[in-house]
Parts: sequence; C-alpha cells; structure tokens
Amino acid sequence: MERKIKDSALSRYKKRMFILVVVLALLSQLVFWEFIRHHPTGVLAYLLAVLPALPFIGIMATYALYIAELRDELVRTVVKTSLLWSIVATLSATTLWGFLELLANAPHLQPLLVLPIFGIFLGIATALVNRRYE
Amino acid sequence: MNNRLRVLRAERAWSQADLAERLEVSRQSVNAIETGKYDPSLPLAFRLARLFDTTIEAIFTDEK
Repeated sequence: MERKIKDSALSRYKKRMFILVVVLALLSQLVFWEFIRHHPTGVLAYLLAVLPALPFIGIMATYALYIAELRDELVRTVVKTSLLWSIVATLSATTLWGFLELLANAPHLQPLLVLPIFGIFLGIATALVNRRYE
Repeated sequence: MNNRLRVLRAERAWSQADLAERLEVSRQSVNAIETGKYDPSLPLAFRLARLFDTTIEAIFTDEK
C-alpha cells in the first residue's frame, strides 16, 4: 500500500482556513444583522462594513503562509504556477468585462466577486498544472 | 534533463513511495523527477546524491 508523505503545511493550512471560515460566517451574520436592524451610518457604518472583509484578507494571507511553509518543492511549484496563471486569467477577465461595461453597457460586476472568480480560476489552473507533472 | 533515478532505485528494490518517504517529498515528486518532467532544486539533488551515496553528476545528465 502506498504510504503518503504528510505535509504539515497542509494540515496547518486546513486548520487556519477552518477557523477563518467560522469567523467569516459569524462576522457576516453579525454585520448584516446590524445593518438590517439598526441601519448604522457614518464612521460606524464604514467600520462595520469592512469587518467581513478581514477574514477574506486572512484567507489570502493563510494561502501565502501555506506556500511559504510547503516542504515539497514540486507541490510549491504547482501552487506558484497555478497562482500566476489564475492572476493572468482574473486580470484578463476583469479587464475585458471593464471594457464591456464601459462601452457596451454590460451589467456592473461587483468588485466583491473578483475573489471568488480568482478562486475558480485557481482551481482550474491547479488541476491543469498538476496534470503536467502526473 | 536525463537521470538514472529509476535504475538506482531498482538496484535497491525501492518503490517510488519508498524513495519519496526517504526524501520527505511526495510520490508525485519522485515520479515527475524520474520521468524528466520536473528538475529538482540543487538542495534536493544533493539529498538524492547523498541518499544513493554518489554524486549529482552520476544521477543527472544534461543530455536531451
């Protein structure tokens, strides 16, 4: 039976991600509830509005930490190459969409959607880059 | 880059998983190096050489 080399970076990444997703869910609930019930304005509204973004920033930082802590250099290469391709794809897609909005009255793309779009491209890129080394 | 990894591994009757465990890398890494799809870093090449008690040049050649 094949023995698998456990990379501790992956288990640490999963733990951090789990915590951040829980924090994200709680913060989002809390902030949306606050906006629906009390309609905050001014500085308080700004402060509350950025709260759900913090776990997202944490998720990105966690991914960067994961890459830094990876021991397997092939896996690191796959992750880095996939990241580069997904950055290219995301920037290309958003630039294209920007011109469509500007010139062809295409519907507005929420900047908040850029991160999930990047995530989708990252998933596709990782699968394709992985195939190169199989 | 060509390499003699498969031969060296076979001489010791090690599977790719055995070698991966000794190198503390994934089996995918060993397979990618063996098939020439991935060129290892210098530190990993040194680890391989030490493990097989030989030199890097005896394992890897830059012939196409």
